[in-house]
Amino acid sequence: MVLADLGRRINNAVGNVTKSNVVDADVISNMLKEICNALLESDVNIKLVAQLREKIRKQIDAEDKPGINKKKLIQKVVFDELVKLVDCNEAELFKPKKKQTNVIMMVGLQGAGKTTTCTKLAVYYQRRGFKVGMVCGDTFRAGAFDQLKQNATKAKIPYYGSYTETDPVKVTFDGVEEFRKEKFEIIIVDTSGRHRQEEDLFEEMVQIGKAIKPNQTIMVLDASIGQSAESQSKAFKESSDFGAIIITKMDSNSKGGGALSAIAATNTPVAFIATGEHIQNFEKFSGRGFISKLLGIGDIEGLMEH
Amino acid sequence: AFSFLSGLFSGKTVTEDDLTKTSKSLSEHLINKNVAPEIAKKLVERINKSLVGTKVTTSIPKAARNALEKELLKLLTPETSINLLKEIQSKKAARKPYVISVVGVNGVGKSTNLSKLAFWLLSNKYRVLITACDTFRSGAVEQLRVHVNNLKKLTEDESHVELFQGGYGGADLVSKIAKGAIQYAEENKFDIVLLDTAGRRHNDAQLMAPLQGFVKAAKPDKIIMVGEALVGTDSVQQAKNFNGAFGPGRTLDFFIISKCDTVGDLIGSMVNMVYATGIPILFVGTGQTYTDLRTLSVDWAVDTLMS
Ligand SMILES: Nc1nc2c(ncn2[C@@H]2O[C@H](COP(=O)(O)OP(=O)(O)OP(=O)(O)O)[C@@H](O)[C@H]2O)c(=O)[nH]1
Ligand SMILES: Nc1nc2c(ncn2[C@@H]2O[C@H](COP(=O)(O)OP(=O)(O)OP(=O)(O)O)[C@@H](O)[C@H]2O)c(=O)[nH]1
Ligand SMILES: [Mg+2]
Ligand SMILES: [Mg+2]
Repeated sequence: MVLADLGRRINNAVGNVTKSNVVDADVISNMLKEICNALLESDVNIKLVAQLREKIRKQIDAEDKPGINKKKLIQKVVFDELVKLVDCNEAELFKPKKKQTNVIMMVGLQGAGKTTTCTKLAVYYQRRGFKVGMVCGDTFRAGAFDQLKQNATKAKIPYYGSYTETDPVKVTFDGVEEFRKEKFEIIIVDTSGRHRQEEDLFEEMVQIGKAIKPNQTIMVLDASIGQSAESQSKAFKESSDFGAIIITKMDSNSKGGGALSAIAATNTPVAFIATGEHIQNFEKFSGRGFISKLLGIGDIEGLMEH
Repeated sequence: AFSFLSGLFSGKTVTEDDLTKTSKSLSEHLINKNVAPEIAKKLVERINKSLVGTKVTTSIPKAARNALEKELLKLLTPETSINLLKEIQSKKAARKPYVISVVGVNGVGKSTNLSKLAFWLLSNKYRVLITACDTFRSGAVEQLRVHVNNLKKLTEDESHVELFQGGYGGADLVSKIAKGAIQYAEENKFDIVLLDTAGRRHNDAQLMAPLQGFVKAAKPDKIIMVGEALVGTDSVQQAKNFNGAFGPGRTLDFFIISKCDTVGDLIGSMVNMVYATGIPILFVGTGQTYTDLRTLSVDWAVDTLMS
């Protein structure tokens, strides 16, 4: 995972401070510059980076008192602020309950990996003993139902969809009702790709949400997204109030900073990551785990405890 | 004491130092537009080089902005004018189908923009054979079938567009289908063969390697990489790796930059891809319907990047 690169560079920048003899404004400036460059090169939103730089600088000033170990202080402040950036106040991740119906709705930009991820999530829950079904709510994209159907068939997951109904609100409602009647415990609803610039598409998402009343909405986000991550994810948050993020294509070269910006902008935790095109390329991810992995904080936390 | 004003007056010779602040703000401006930091840095270095030692008649920030604008204009303007239809026409005279293939990473919009290309070619009265060389992703063949059926309804003569497919399977099948399609097109007087391919990760050698065999088998007249506007800094590496994937003597011919409608004015990924490879942009994708394929207006792009 290339994300580790970012953590390594940040660690190095902080490490350089701890190695230098005098810790003056120049040393701190250099460190901040290096950290900010690393973040920018990983696609972290530029405004977010600027804010972070100021926060770190201010926090160091505020806590700097005579006699304090300045190097330790800097270390602590940098990592605290970085964690704050993606810390969702440990927002509780959704836990589906057995013996009742849990509807999960997938939303996201075009081509992010929603349909592929639906089956991965279905298999994940099926293996944990849930009765799982999938509904194809994408009536727009050519071949969307066939795609879901072929994936579902391969993974032996029951599915619902229509070749003729063009209203996604109706298909998803009917599909959810049918699975509900048959006492399915998890119903995963796939939807079309959409983007904030097209209001009608967002309105459609809102209508689907009203019809199927999801217990959990998940935004699927491509790890390689750049500076648009912030505004797109904010807009999705406002319209769909998603409660978790799944980051896909973590097997790519991307450094995931766009996804990090989306987490920060929406204050929403990452539930899973996808690391390839095959069903098994799917992992659970805790918010904390993501942060530690991203920033390589694992080692640092250990280091700071001494 | 008034040295800060000096930049405002004409005739000042520009030094490195004069440019420090402007460089920083221009570079941040570009990064904000989704230009990768490494590319932003190189662009700014280039304009600095062009300015140091010259006399400017405007303020330094203004001179630097002008220089950047020129640089972007130069970058995005293709060196030779692109006239695909003319090339197709001359091959048609030789009674050979013109073969175009799209490549790119997963989910960027290859199949959709291939269908838009088909629509454009159909409206120019060519007969188009759409070929399903993505034999991997679920529903990839059916996706193209739906497009072909839609396109049949949008053309005056249904027989002007057809689907050629061979189902799902491995890399051998891909080359077999491509060759089969070209032969079928020759026999049935199709002017153009459009080859869709599976999305692949540019950082996976195992997935990229089959592209060489594919190109050997299909000998496409044009290879178009579809790159999306949403992608961030990775666009640089994506473009480089695809450009280098076809073996010695063969590169990409064009980009289609898709999903330009989803990024507002953050259109920097096209700068990244063109800067990284020097490959020109054939079209930009501006939506999900067949008519959402446009020639890039370089003036618009530069204005948007500078705004
Ligand atoms: N490398 C890689 N590819 C992935 C991953 N997840 C999905 N893909 C691929 O990304 C492409 C797009 O995936 P889809 O599931 O069709 O995306 P979508 O969000 O449903 O797309 P739309 O419905 O058109 O908006 C496909 O080629 C998938 O195989 C992943 O984790 N890694
Ligand atoms: N908004 C917008 N969406 C687009 C554009 N081009 C393609 N899309 C959408 O992007 C999604 C993915 O498109 P595909 O054509 O399936 O992408 P692909 O590259 O063939 O995907 P794989 O074959 O799975 O790698 C679909 O939902 C398309 O409708 C565009 O220019 N603008
Ligand atoms: Mg889909
Ligand atoms: Mg495709």
